[in-house]
Amino acid sequence: MLGTAIIGKEGSMLKKGPAKKVTIYLNEDTRYHLESLYEAILRFLMHKGVAGATASRAMAGFGAHHLLHTPNIEVLSEHLPVRVEFVESPDKVEELLPTLYDMVSDGLIEVQDTTVFKIAKKESKPEPRHPHEKKRGQAKLMRIYMGEADRWKGEPLHDAIVKTLRMMDIAGATVYRGILGYGAKGHTRKEHFMHRSRDCPVMVAVVDTPEKILAAADAIAEMIEDGLIATSDVDIVRLIHSHPLTEASDAGTHAR
Amino acid sequence: MPAPTPGKILRLHFSERDRYQGKPLYEAIVDKCRELRIAGATVYRGLEGYGEAAEIHRSHVLSHDLPIIVSIIDSAENVARVLPVVEEMMDKGLIAMSDVEVVRIQRSKTAKP
Repeated sequence: MLGTAIIGKEGSMLKKGPAKKVTIYLNEDTRYHLESLYEAILRFLMHKGVAGATASRAMAGFGAHHLLHTPNIEVLSEHLPVRVEFVESPDKVEELLPTLYDMVSDGLIEVQDTTVFKIAKKESKPEPRHPHEKKRGQAKLMRIYMGEADRWKGEPLHDAIVKTLRMMDIAGATVYRGILGYGAKGHTRKEHFMHRSRDCPVMVAVVDTPEKILAAADAIAEMIEDGLIATSDVDIVRLIHSHPLTEASDAGTHAR
Repeated sequence: MPAPTPGKILRLHFSERDRYQGKPLYEAIVDKCRELRIAGATVYRGLEGYGEAAEIHRSHVLSHDLPIIVSIIDSAENVARVLPVVEEMMDKGLIAMSDVEVVRIQRSKTAKP
């Protein structure tokens, strides 16, 4: 790896969902004015606020000139293939492509459709604590009922549900274990004093906006074999830290 | 996902120590719900709490006196049928009822309808 630039400036429009991946194939010794081309491209992308870009040196390869570049002969002459890759939103890629087209005098630019599945960014330093702020609003509460012994593809169903909700950026979920109950399966599940029953009733409670709860209910319904999903309207009073990015604090999306 | 149907959730709050005809009240209520063919009932035990008697319910080494919540979900008619019965069985405590949208999922063949 020759250089990495991962920076989240104002210019980045990268978020979860459809995006474009741009790959540029170059030679290490291709120049752009006074510096090497891959460095110039990285600098340009960073200046434009692209979320991240990586340049990597290849083991070997050949290109338009049909000369085989291998480390044995090329390592001293710095003539190995270099690949610069970055992922950005389609709008941003459209904005960048004309300049890249102009810069790449010798090489190949490839654009492909991709999907951003997760963007995680650790805060470089913890935010200073601000006083709490109250937020009121209408939301939905969803309760999902199942048995503790229920499984989904080998793992406990309630674990799988919490993981799925987390992946869908749902604000929060809590799992409760009941001590007695009956439901879809029709048999009583009871906790015993000496030996814990392995099939107590379990309930997962989730609160979020109506649209997100609806989407989550569809996904969860696919995972449950026998159970029940009950949704109701709730008024929420939420205590949040009032730092400057509160608009983006819905459902805890910390990354951009 | 099947279309949700309107229903009611009933939540009964009382103490683990409450008894009905010699057995724990929560067991008696769950048995009564089955007898009345209510779709389902679940009993939860809280960690700590207090109620109208203003006594704190907390776990001790010997005595178990923790808060108990029984939640019952069914159609409005069935909940209306069970409500007077459980009201009769509880001599203190709290009953809360709210509207819910219910989706029942039953895919396994072993489950009773």
